[in-house]
Amino acid sequence: MILPAINMRRTYLVARRDFLGYIKTWGFWISFLMPFVFGVLGFFASSWEFDLEPTRYEAILDETGLHGHKIRALRDTELKANERKVFEAIDQVSAVTGMKSQLLDIYDKQGSQAALNFLEGEFPQISNRVKLPKPSFIFVDPPSNDFEDLKEYINGNKTFMHEGKPSKLSGVLRLYEEDGKILGNHWSTLVNTDGELRFYSRYFRAISVENYLSSGGLTVDGLNDARQPKFEIESFNPAKEISGEVTSQAVTKSDMIPYVVAAVMTVMLWLTIFSGSYMLLTSMLEEKLNKLLEMMLASTRLSEIIFGKLLGVAALTLTAMIPYFLIGGVGIVAATIIGGPEVAAGLSNAFTLKMFIFFPVFLVLGYIFYGSFFIALGTLANSMQDAQTLTTPIMLILTMCVMVVPVGLNSPESPVLQLATWFPLSAPFAAIMRLPSDPPWWELIMSAGFVFLMALAVIWFAGRIFRFGVLSGAGVKGIWVWFKRVVLRRKTVG
Amino acid sequence: MTQAPLSIRNVSKRFAEKTAVDDVSLEVNPGEIVGFLGPNGAGKTTTIRMALGLIKPDEGEVELFGETPGAQAFGRLAFLPEERGLYKKQTASAAIAHMARLNGMKGREAFKLADELLDRYGLSEAKRKKNKDLSKGMAQKVQLLAAIAHDPEFYILDEPFSGLDPVNQQILEDMVREIAERGRTILFSTHVMEHAERLCDRIVLISESRKIFDGSTEDALAQAPNRLVIDSEDSRLVDTITPFSKSVSKRDDGAYLSLLKDGTDAQSVLEKCVAQKIKLTRFTPKNPTLHEAFVAMVGHSRGFEDMEGLS
Repeated sequence: MILPAINMRRTYLVARRDFLGYIKTWGFWISFLMPFVFGVLGFFASSWEFDLEPTRYEAILDETGLHGHKIRALRDTELKANERKVFEAIDQVSAVTGMKSQLLDIYDKQGSQAALNFLEGEFPQISNRVKLPKPSFIFVDPPSNDFEDLKEYINGNKTFMHEGKPSKLSGVLRLYEEDGKILGNHWSTLVNTDGELRFYSRYFRAISVENYLSSGGLTVDGLNDARQPKFEIESFNPAKEISGEVTSQAVTKSDMIPYVVAAVMTVMLWLTIFSGSYMLLTSMLEEKLNKLLEMMLASTRLSEIIFGKLLGVAALTLTAMIPYFLIGGVGIVAATIIGGPEVAAGLSNAFTLKMFIFFPVFLVLGYIFYGSFFIALGTLANSMQDAQTLTTPIMLILTMCVMVVPVGLNSPESPVLQLATWFPLSAPFAAIMRLPSDPPWWELIMSAGFVFLMALAVIWFAGRIFRFGVLSGAGVKGIWVWFKRVVLRRKTVG
Repeated sequence: MTQAPLSIRNVSKRFAEKTAVDDVSLEVNPGEIVGFLGPNGAGKTTTIRMALGLIKPDEGEVELFGETPGAQAFGRLAFLPEERGLYKKQTASAAIAHMARLNGMKGREAFKLADELLDRYGLSEAKRKKNKDLSKGMAQKVQLLAAIAHDPEFYILDEPFSGLDPVNQQILEDMVREIAERGRTILFSTHVMEHAERLCDRIVLISESRKIFDGSTEDALAQAPNRLVIDSEDSRLVDTITPFSKSVSKRDDGAYLSLLKDGTDAQSVLEKCVAQKIKLTRFTPKNPTLHEAFVAMVGHSRGFEDMEGLS
């Protein structure tokens, strides 16, 4: 196979036009800025007092006198547990490990406000970001002991004062006795809101369990204690090297990081190839339908058009990926700072020399391979429907290729993954997904070599099909005519 | 410059069971305007594509500037394909500049020239407009300007007049004349004979994949029969003119249309009528047009001696 001659200037001009053709559209900039816009909105939203779901006020009219106070006590316990989780999460942040037990002590002994004050004094940068969970509903004393009157509060005809503001009652749980049985109904105008009902169910289930256990002389605390594991099985990896900060072969969270990174990189690779190939298809289709290609072919080589398009759309795709690379970079830095040495070690294990070499290699080869395919198919199509029909098989294959990600995460040594490394259509994704398992160099090089050879074959194929597709009416039916004439070299002449 | 920009020798091209071009030869000499005529489907576009090297002939040879068509002709050639189009979201100015740059012009120079051309051809308002917002006629002119902006030696225009209204056809005709005045060589295909008649030095006619005529416009016109519209109240008229005619037919207005035999002129018919003392109420000799010559030659090539509907 002779490599096609290429004039760099014309190739650049074709690439430039394709790049600018897309980059000057609103759609591109909306997609480009979207991650930043969401990031900024997310950042500010965390600071705004943006009340999506105002706290509801619930009252209990307990005519039995048996459950009302217990229900409210359970609610207080649950809300405090939720609050405590926030402070526990802050504990996990290694940068503030120094105040770990102190913060929880203060919270347990003095409450949330004291813990927040402590944070503000010691770590103002963190305290600004801390938001305690807002309860979806809280209990208030019933503004009236007359049930009929309470309905007026539920309907909004009457209001009650809460923290100095007139407030509407969202619901009332009425508990009463009838024929020696305790019955209950919940009254509310919020027919779609079932948080309160689920909470009451939880309470009465707990009561049932408690009664059941007590009938056998058992307690709920005893049950909970029995359910706690008495020892933990620790995982070890004999392949894990002990060096530097790693002092044991015990498996830690950081050992999983390379697999997560490989999965993210594979998905990025897949997205880049998918979106790039699809852009090439639509770009080629537009030019074919606009009849521009024929005019261009009088002043530009076929190879220059193909490579120009590949380059232009590659530049465009990489530009479109900039926000995600930036977010990824910020994420890595943040994870390293917050996660401490363990995460840093995990990331360092993920970004190995092999990753630095083979990610770009497979990105380029995979893009050229699939991109050339889509260019060729674009020239054969006469409409978007044609293009969809023609690309369906390759789209299915490309979609199936992304399945290497879950396989690689759950079973890195799976024969399927190893086989996929040798199959050029899936090799770019499978090879990256296998990197955490440290496959031998020769396997990766051979796999890249196969994709390279296949990419050359596809470029050759694309070149032949391109000329046929552009200059003839082509269409889906034309493929067979082309195949017979060009590939099989069968004489179909009269 | 003495080398023929285009030389096509005995080329044939077949697609599946259909022969698109059959043993066609054609030479375009420097400075000539050659009209490449033929009915739809005759093989004009396939011949042009072979001339450009876009497709390879099954048989025969093509030389563009003395060499096999290829990259050496880039920048020396302008090609306007039959079916037109532009990048919809590109401005007219950018579209022209892009093609000019592909043909070797430098960036700034190309954009400046694009604006000048748009001004010169009354498209100033289109400069910064996106192509999708242009009228069909404007878009066609923009594409033509994009094809020719780099002012090459040789222009190949495939059906340049198709789809244009009469005003724009005239503008395009003037553009072609202007290009020719600069000594450039032009080959254009068309099936609208009036343009060819007014513009061409030479005509090549292709019908059913084969070349059936290659010569000057005058020679082409000589291929068409002279016609005569004649009328009289004398019943001997038809018998008198029949010996001079290939065919005689009665027109809707009652007059007779005679397709005169080769070498016969209307004067002979008039002399005969005078000698017979036939009093003529109408005597209108008609000079042949290229359209008639075209129809006659195509008809002849298809085996029809007398073509109807030449009036």
